[in-house]
Amino acid sequence: MNQAAKSAGIESVWRGGISPFAVSWRKLMMWLFIITDGLLFAGLLAGYGFVRLASPRWPNRAEIFHLDFIALMTFILITSSATMATAVGAARQGRPKTVVRFLLLTILGGLSFLGCQAYEWSKLIGEGARLSTNPWGVPLFSAAFFIITGFHGSHVLTGVLILSIVAVRALRQRVSPEGVELAGLYWHFVDLVWVFIFTLFYLI
Amino acid sequence: MSQTHQAHGYRVYWVVWFVLLIVTVGMMSLGTAGLTTFLILILLLGMLLKASLISGYFMHLRFERASLILIVAVGILATAGVLFFLIAPDGLRVLHSGSHVDLGGGR
Repeated sequence: MNQAAKSAGIESVWRGGISPFAVSWRKLMMWLFIITDGLLFAGLLAGYGFVRLASPRWPNRAEIFHLDFIALMTFILITSSATMATAVGAARQGRPKTVVRFLLLTILGGLSFLGCQAYEWSKLIGEGARLSTNPWGVPLFSAAFFIITGFHGSHVLTGVLILSIVAVRALRQRVSPEGVELAGLYWHFVDLVWVFIFTLFYLI
Repeated sequence: MSQTHQAHGYRVYWVVWFVLLIVTVGMMSLGTAGLTTFLILILLLGMLLKASLISGYFMHLRFERASLILIVAVGILATAGVLFFLIAPDGLRVLHSGSHVDLGGGR
């Protein structure tokens, strides 16, 4: 390639119109949002890791939580992710009725998860757990629990609201396949974060 | 999303869902009390496997261009590395020193 051709190539790149990631700007922005939101949870989980390592002891989760119940919550969220992925696939194939049906199933999953979380929080609060104190002798245990699951729960609630808006728009056939896909990306991210919380907070 | 991927329809999502379920049940069966370092490593590997499946298939990251995969993976992994190497040594030092930091337990 001669010098002139090289310069012309560089100029056309800087002139715009080229997509280095081969995705639309909306999808790229959603990914950048997901990365930054992921860093928020990384910070929270790292902080939890520190206080746990620095604590002389840490309560046995199996004595505080019903792990089968937590597994049920995980099952609900994973299933809602699969229904969401199916809704995205249907949107790509131009099947609006299937999109709405699977979006509603996903919303139902999200609401069920929130219901489970509300039950779990109420149970722990009823046993005396607060943000700064709890009956198990390690105050930061309940602080970590309420902050991490609270942040995650607020994301689930936001996701349910976004999906409800998308479902209404899909019913009126006013949503593009990409619109469903972007809502799906956010929903899967919420599921992804739960995978880390479930393992690091409840299991290990 | 590539055309080849679309051609598979929805089946792939439910296969991934089933694998996620199996891995979760497997992780649950390891229990929580008295975990050895080996079992903790297994749990962490299970967690990473599930995260890869969700981001790869549900979020279609596997079918995106390498540049997009790199900005996501490098961003997250580099941060995880920085946080780990900054926090873990200090946390472990406190753990092994025998004199624990007062984290508010005395209140």
